[in-house]
Amino acid sequence: MTGANGAVSQPGFLSYPANPIATYNGVPGAGGTYTAVTPLWGSIPPANNAYYQAMNKALGATLKMSPADGNTYDQAVTAMIAGGKLPDWVQLPSWWNATFKTAELVGTQLADLTPYLGGDNIKQYPNLAAIPSNVWKVGSYNGKIYGLPSFFSGQAFSGTIYYRGDVFDSKGIKPSDITSIDALLALGKELTDAKGGVWAFEILWTYLTQPFGIPDKFSADGSGKLTHKYDLPQFTDALNWAYNLAKSGYVNPDAMASNDNKAKDRFWAGKSLVTGDGTGAWNGSDADSGIAANPGYRREAFVPFAADGKSTPTISLEGATSEISYLNAKLSADQIKECLRIADYLAAPYGSAEYTLINYGISGTDYTMGSGGPQYTDQGKKESQPQTYPFLCTSAQVVSNPGHDQVTKDICAWSAQAVKYAYKPVFFEVNLTVPSQLATADGAQPVEDTIKDVIRGRKKVSDFTDAVKGWKARGGNDVIKWYQDYADKNGTGQ
Amino acid sequence: MRARHNRSMDIGRVSGPALVVEAPAIRRVPPPPGTVTRRKQSWRTRLRRDKSLLIMTMPAVILVLVFSYLPMFGVATAFQYYDPVKGFFHSQWLGLENFRHLFADPLFWQALENTLAISAVQLILFFPIPIALAILLNSILSRRLRSAIQSIVYLPHFFSWVLVISIFQQVLGGGGLVNTFLRRHDMSTWNIMTDPHTFKLLVTAQAVWKEAGWSIIIFLAALAAIDTALYEAAAADGAGRWRRMWHITLPGLRGVIILLLVLRLGSALTVGFEQMFIQRDAVGHDAADVLDTYSYFYGIKTGDYSFGAAAGLFKSVVSLVLLYGANKVAHLFGQDGLYRKS
Repeated sequence: MTGANGAVSQPGFLSYPANPIATYNGVPGAGGTYTAVTPLWGSIPPANNAYYQAMNKALGATLKMSPADGNTYDQAVTAMIAGGKLPDWVQLPSWWNATFKTAELVGTQLADLTPYLGGDNIKQYPNLAAIPSNVWKVGSYNGKIYGLPSFFSGQAFSGTIYYRGDVFDSKGIKPSDITSIDALLALGKELTDAKGGVWAFEILWTYLTQPFGIPDKFSADGSGKLTHKYDLPQFTDALNWAYNLAKSGYVNPDAMASNDNKAKDRFWAGKSLVTGDGTGAWNGSDADSGIAANPGYRREAFVPFAADGKSTPTISLEGATSEISYLNAKLSADQIKECLRIADYLAAPYGSAEYTLINYGISGTDYTMGSGGPQYTDQGKKESQPQTYPFLCTSAQVVSNPGHDQVTKDICAWSAQAVKYAYKPVFFEVNLTVPSQLATADGAQPVEDTIKDVIRGRKKVSDFTDAVKGWKARGGNDVIKWYQDYADKNGTGQ
Repeated sequence: MRARHNRSMDIGRVSGPALVVEAPAIRRVPPPPGTVTRRKQSWRTRLRRDKSLLIMTMPAVILVLVFSYLPMFGVATAFQYYDPVKGFFHSQWLGLENFRHLFADPLFWQALENTLAISAVQLILFFPIPIALAILLNSILSRRLRSAIQSIVYLPHFFSWVLVISIFQQVLGGGGLVNTFLRRHDMSTWNIMTDPHTFKLLVTAQAVWKEAGWSIIIFLAALAAIDTALYEAAAADGAGRWRRMWHITLPGLRGVIILLLVLRLGSALTVGFEQMFIQRDAVGHDAADVLDTYSYFYGIKTGDYSFGAAAGLFKSVVSLVLLYGANKVAHLFGQDGLYRKS
């Protein structure tokens, strides 16, 4: 489905080829050995396992994979950067660009790939050539290509508000009735049963940006003048609503105590019925966890709606991807070419034999081919299901959840609706890094801390306004001016 | 000053061979009986004498040198604008700018106030508890029962703070055991885990639950060193239980209590990091920020390493002054304190 402003919903697949075809001729590697560090939100596979060995054999090179815990990945990588000891191939998600100071690393510690991929050179790597040019932009700085993208799609939304579809059905609530933020709050009374340990909401703040139309950082008016999100009236409206929500008693008290890492558990257990989460939360393994708690479990998402119920809803497009991997500048030209061939192999399309090996592992040992597609065995769940190689490079994201056809259908239905409301925010696909002197002010930690207090009902919205005034006086105005200067010179990228 | 040097109170002092020096030609007034005079031996003799002891301390000394003294060069980052890409030698020099910035930040003073307040609460409420527990435990006659209780009580010391706070959350939290019970019986809930006003007491309660058992070990050892004959003599003289405790037990523990007090005052500004970090969102940063979390959230996390280093340096300097001062006060009371130059 093609939507507004270039948003394209991901293709969904309900079946998987029974005999995946090999698409890559020969072996990409030339016997080289490389170290690779990638993040992993899950349990780390054992070292030197059968899946790694099979992958190395297929690649014709030895990739020493060292997946690191995603929750502390930024600290682990920052230590490597400070010591100048980045591995040969490292994944640097773009949401940590400020922490890693990626703009300073490119060209110094990270290799420039333009001589190898620019112009006609890319034809040597057919799978990489299939990646659209707007995706390459995310890993490009100053017109040069540095990064290899993973998990890209045309419908990059950060997340949305989910609800328990099965519970709504049993209570006779029609999600299409929820077309305004007041309707959402009214659900609270119907869904909450404090004595029974069921509450309507988790803390919804992060994903309220969609109904209230709050941008990532800035919004621009017709003349190119930027307004920081803290100054926007809808931001204060959203804070007011979140404050009222916190005081309403419809929010799960454990959520109020910020057990955010348990938010998914509460949703699966049915202790919270409406939650906000990233788009990565909606997939087959989520369905597995939910069904383990409740056989009728079904995650669904609200179609984007506007807070006042009257205006056209909008949903912000993120960059085509946020997972970019980079090669170490210390590698020689031949080594870089070998790694690019390996990346080409890793970017094999969905359903091919290479894709099956990379994502599912060895047939029989790590997965068995079922009627709906590959099903992981217990060994596969430990070795090949945790995503390691995909963080180095992949082909386009598709929606595919073998064994959970309903999930795939639900996701595709939602995406088809959501892309209609997509818009490109300010500085869309522009790789901007604030100079380090302004980085602390850019982060606005004191304001963010005050916001945390407001959405939990500890402080009033007037405290937030005071915090913003204080922030502006201590560097906030400089930050806004820097962005405005940039926009005046280079436009807003919309 | 020499006269106060009561030999019988020296604990663990290595005494070398006593040399009474008498120069043959000059008649000296002999020193009063009972004191020991020593001539300062040449350092070579002392080295030979203590060689094996020095070698035994070598590993620990090297560890401290490499992991504590060497990294001290990093203190320079507090006076620079440290950029990890540029390294120590090429980062911009800022002098005292970071400290000026630090002292102008109201959140810093809030964090300092929280740190001192939590420290004071813990001193009053936490510090006496291991002493009381140790005295109680010591009075149990059955050895097996005593070991069993001791093992159970010091087990939480080995739990991580994440586990302890999760347990507290499960029992006392909004959706936890106590509150579910209250809700079921139509009573109002007790939101102790999210109340910023009682946070200092909550933190102390958690620390007591976790650490009190471990702290009794030192006191039990000190109690064991008290001569039981003293108790018997006092009982024979008609002293009741409380008088015996006041006149024998507590003075016997005095040395250890003051040592631990000095150490605690020296680390008054270190009230914990993990505990506050985990609960910061639950009670809000106004109540939960201490110097260490301030240094993390407003320094390291935003990439402003120098600012975090400046906050840390301030804390270290103040702690050093406190430690030195507390040690001096201990000397005034006639105790050895943390260290004493002999």
